[in-house]
Amino acid sequence: MSLTKIVPSQKSNRLPELLVPALLGALLLVYFAIPFVAFLARSGPANVVAGLSSPEAQRAIHNSLITAPISTLIAAVFGIPLAYVLARTSFVGKRFVEALVILPLVVPPVVGGAMILTAVGRFTPIGSAVATLGISLTDSLIGVVLAQTFVAAPFVIITARAGFGAIDERLEQASRSLGYGPLSTFWNVSLPLARGAIVAGIILTFARAIGEFGATMMVAYNPRTMPTRIWVDFIAGGIDSIVPLALALLGITLAVLAAVQRFGRVPTVIDQ
Amino acid sequence: MILELDQLTHRYGDELAVDDVSFGLDEGELVAVLGPSGCGKTTLVQAIAGHVQPTAGRVVLRDRDVTGEPPEDRHVGIVFQQSTLYPHMTVNENVAYGLAARGIEPTQRDKRVREYLELVALSEKRDAHPSELSGGQRRRVEVARALAPQPDVLLLDEPLSALDRQLRERLRDEIARIQAETGVTTLFVTHDQEEAMALADRLIVMNDGRVSGSGAPRVLYESPPTPFVASFLGRSNTFPATVVSQFPPVLRVGDRTFSLPSGTITASEGTAVTCHVRPDRLSVSDPDATDTGSALSLPGEVVSIADVGRRYDVRIQAETGSQFVVETMERPPVSGEAVTVELPRDRITIFESATHDSRESTPRSDTEKYDD
Repeated sequence: MSLTKIVPSQKSNRLPELLVPALLGALLLVYFAIPFVAFLARSGPANVVAGLSSPEAQRAIHNSLITAPISTLIAAVFGIPLAYVLARTSFVGKRFVEALVILPLVVPPVVGGAMILTAVGRFTPIGSAVATLGISLTDSLIGVVLAQTFVAAPFVIITARAGFGAIDERLEQASRSLGYGPLSTFWNVSLPLARGAIVAGIILTFARAIGEFGATMMVAYNPRTMPTRIWVDFIAGGIDSIVPLALALLGITLAVLAAVQRFGRVPTVIDQ
Repeated sequence: MILELDQLTHRYGDELAVDDVSFGLDEGELVAVLGPSGCGKTTLVQAIAGHVQPTAGRVVLRDRDVTGEPPEDRHVGIVFQQSTLYPHMTVNENVAYGLAARGIEPTQRDKRVREYLELVALSEKRDAHPSELSGGQRRRVEVARALAPQPDVLLLDEPLSALDRQLRERLRDEIARIQAETGVTTLFVTHDQEEAMALADRLIVMNDGRVSGSGAPRVLYESPPTPFVASFLGRSNTFPATVVSQFPPVLRVGDRTFSLPSGTITASEGTAVTCHVRPDRLSVSDPDATDTGSALSLPGEVVSIADVGRRYDVRIQAETGSQFVVETMERPPVSGEAVTVELPRDRITIFESATHDSRESTPRSDTEKYDD
């Protein structure tokens, strides 16, 4: 009866199933690609090399290459255990902790930077206490690391948490029953099995840290990192003057991504 | 005794998962815990292995109270329903994993791994990764990994339930062989009664967090201690009756009275009871067949017949109002035919109707209570 009616009508206007989502996605991809291509088209190789050999640019690259890996390391060392706890237990106030993890992502980086200043600025209790030891938490590489860690750490926490959550808890229980304590089980089983997600999280964190501008500008406008240098150059010399550093920043991020994927044997960042 | 559970109780919040369970396993025994899903059997396994801290009660391994000890200090081997082989390790590394933790020398380890892979007939797969193995092979490697450290007890938590039927039966025999060869004390948890009965020396039937009956498979099947065991273990026909007299035992079913072998009725006169009888114990005869004396004859009508290959399942509506399923090998009567169902007097198990809830009926202690 009605069944026979429905079948042919469906067949006649049948489109490839993914046509609509593919078209929508393609529009966005085009929008991603156009600025990228336009930007690259502006620069010749000669002035890139020249631009990067200036002492200011060298200094900025140097600072970024020191701070971003340290921030990423801090985020990983403290974030991965937190991710594991969040994936494995429920406790009173867990929602609150989860909200706290998300907070740096929702707060605009500039505001985040301002918040860091109110906590560790020169004239705050923490800032002045540390200053008596001769260490400055603002306008220093430490300040850069503080800003980068604040903004970038959530990425590794969130991704690693998803990775740990995807591991069947019984794999860990089997390890315990085979004679391993909780720490060696984490090391032997949970960590290797969540490796893909953790590596993805580390890449995202690194990319976010090395590109960090808003919070860094508030906490440590000096010494210049690559993003703050790009801003200063842009104010002084317009778009063309920032092309060399911008390309270098992009190059570093892509190189790290490629290297980590290769050694971490992770197919793609997103496909976790 | 290798393993002893002493009044083990566990709650998840308000929910009582295991309720006052006590039993023990002797050296080399293969005991099956059988029950429907949600009866608390997995919680029981988790508590024995130490992955769940019981709310009350004790777990005793080799006369040592281990209730408060973490899993790694217990020497219990465990195999779950889903594979827990480590995908980042080879078969060899998986089996050796538990040996390293127990401080066994590398050379000794190698020998042990070889020995246990041989036991499960997978020596040639030692360098494979779990993803390269079939479902059945993965199960066997898992058994080898659990057994290699030579645990006090092997816990198998629904190890075959995720497999298809043929493989399940093959692996069941394999487990029986491995258990016989190693002599490891084994607790096999399953919801599949056929599996449990085929494997176990002893059955523990659980329902709703409690032990509803335990004993040798045949004994439990033939004379179930509780209504739950009667209905869960194999098929069962139930019908209501009233006790006319306890000494000698006489029962009224519908408008007929029957005498039963002495000692079969523990309920007092006038009590409403529920009777259980196995479908394979019943037979169908002509409607006008005379009462043979050895069986209770109830007249009725054939409702339906199912041909299940090895036998016929004949459903009969008795005049008393109850329906019976009769399993018979012989050519059955046709639908609508008037027949007589014959219930052997010595195969009827009687429970008080009020004790339908198995929680209130502990196997034999009822006797005293109702005799008062």
